[in-house]
Amino acid sequence: MKLLEVKKVSKSFDQKEILKDINFTLNGGKIVGLLGKNGAGKTTLIKLINDLLTPTSGEILVNGNKVGVETKKVISYLPERTYLNKQMKVSEVLEFFQDFYEDFDIEKAKQLLKDLDLDLNEHLSKMSKGMQEKVQLVLVMSRKADLYVLDEPLGGVDPATRDYILDTILSNFNENASVIISTHLISDIERILDEVIFIDKGKIILQSDADKLRNKENASIDEIFRRMFKC
Amino acid sequence: MLTKLLKYDLKYMIRNMSVFYILAIFFALVTRLLSLPEQSIMIGILTKISSGCVIAMIGNIVINTIMRSWIRFRDSFYKDEAYLTHTLPVTKNALYSSKLIQTLIFFIIGFLIIIVSLLIAYYSKENWEGITNYIHTITTGLNMSTAFFIIMFLLVCFLEIFNAIQCGFYGIILGHRRNNLKLGFSILFGFIAYLIAQSMVLGIVYAYGFIDPTVMELFKTATINIDVTAFKILAILSCLAYAFIISLMSFLCKRLLNKGVNID
Repeated sequence: MKLLEVKKVSKSFDQKEILKDINFTLNGGKIVGLLGKNGAGKTTLIKLINDLLTPTSGEILVNGNKVGVETKKVISYLPERTYLNKQMKVSEVLEFFQDFYEDFDIEKAKQLLKDLDLDLNEHLSKMSKGMQEKVQLVLVMSRKADLYVLDEPLGGVDPATRDYILDTILSNFNENASVIISTHLISDIERILDEVIFIDKGKIILQSDADKLRNKENASIDEIFRRMFKC
Repeated sequence: MLTKLLKYDLKYMIRNMSVFYILAIFFALVTRLLSLPEQSIMIGILTKISSGCVIAMIGNIVINTIMRSWIRFRDSFYKDEAYLTHTLPVTKNALYSSKLIQTLIFFIIGFLIIIVSLLIAYYSKENWEGITNYIHTITTGLNMSTAFFIIMFLLVCFLEIFNAIQCGFYGIILGHRRNNLKLGFSILFGFIAYLIAQSMVLGIVYAYGFIDPTVMELFKTATINIDVTAFKILAILSCLAYAFIISLMSFLCKRLLNKGVNID
């Protein structure tokens, strides 16, 4: 069974078609880069996988299940914005995740927070946006999910922390799980990618094994991306 | 999962509402302490100010319970927090029910705090007798028992406000199905939903009037020389009609949410 199947998915807002007939599948054990320019439809696709948008047509299956309660149990999603209730303390957020996600490992989360010098007793409202994003990343990566969907995980953090985040991602998902990472910072994540999906104007224009693509084009993914999407 | 959702929804409301509860009780106590039999002018002024604060806090409790229920609903379902709410492994029905039960609980808590504040601030033998005599006059005129009158009065008020809150939820859901001007449409649709709900309650009572002529008299005559039993029937009928409308609205809200959401 495929981990993720996206079948003929389209999404329109009013008359504007944001995603057009998207098809792709994803097996377990892969780190996939979802790459594209601003407004290409990356976040829309990710939101559809996470039930935050409803497709105009087509269907999305995760482990053979339509998007819903069962798929949410196995997807760990990091959105591009801070989504936690700012009135809560970090420790309360951990308790919240433990309450709702059976696969949440609270001890692991505490260790990761400690590594990042984040205080369990601090209120989220007192934290900077970057710190809140780190907390969210810790929460997401402390789950033993089948599919991790990370939308711009490096966007709000300083370059020094990016390597730590990438290492966190690499060392915190099991071998059967997959990770989808959407980002503009291709050079930062290139080293960890197994597959790439290039998306442009709502269509998938390329899905390939990362190494094969590098060998074929004799260039890095970053260079290929720049060449392909040159303005 | 519903109990877990409710736990966090209640925590949120307690954090935001407790200040009004504490202030209402505090000013009620101050009013009581200042209400001495022989007051100086200054104490008299302070008593009036404190008494005004009690009334203001009571107003705050009512308004904040309603407004915060709507804001909490909108934030959880359609703002940044929605990214967490809709990715929890929980059904949409449970998410909605949690918000509805939270509103219900805080409505009851708010009501109790208001009663306690009023009793602390203004209870006296004369006041109590004045109120009971007033209610007795009404209930005698309407040929009802005092207990029945109080229960029906509170129940109708409660159902009416609960219905208004749920119309707000319905408006928010409908408004956020649009791609533009979501807040404006939420208010508009909520208001329209409220008007339709009220018209339906009135329609149900009117329809019953065809079975019971005493009820129909309420629609036909402007005089007060009508059968008082009609008021008793009207109260019961209104409660049943509101219960029906609230159930229907709840069903529609859940149905719309289950069709899917579109979060910005």
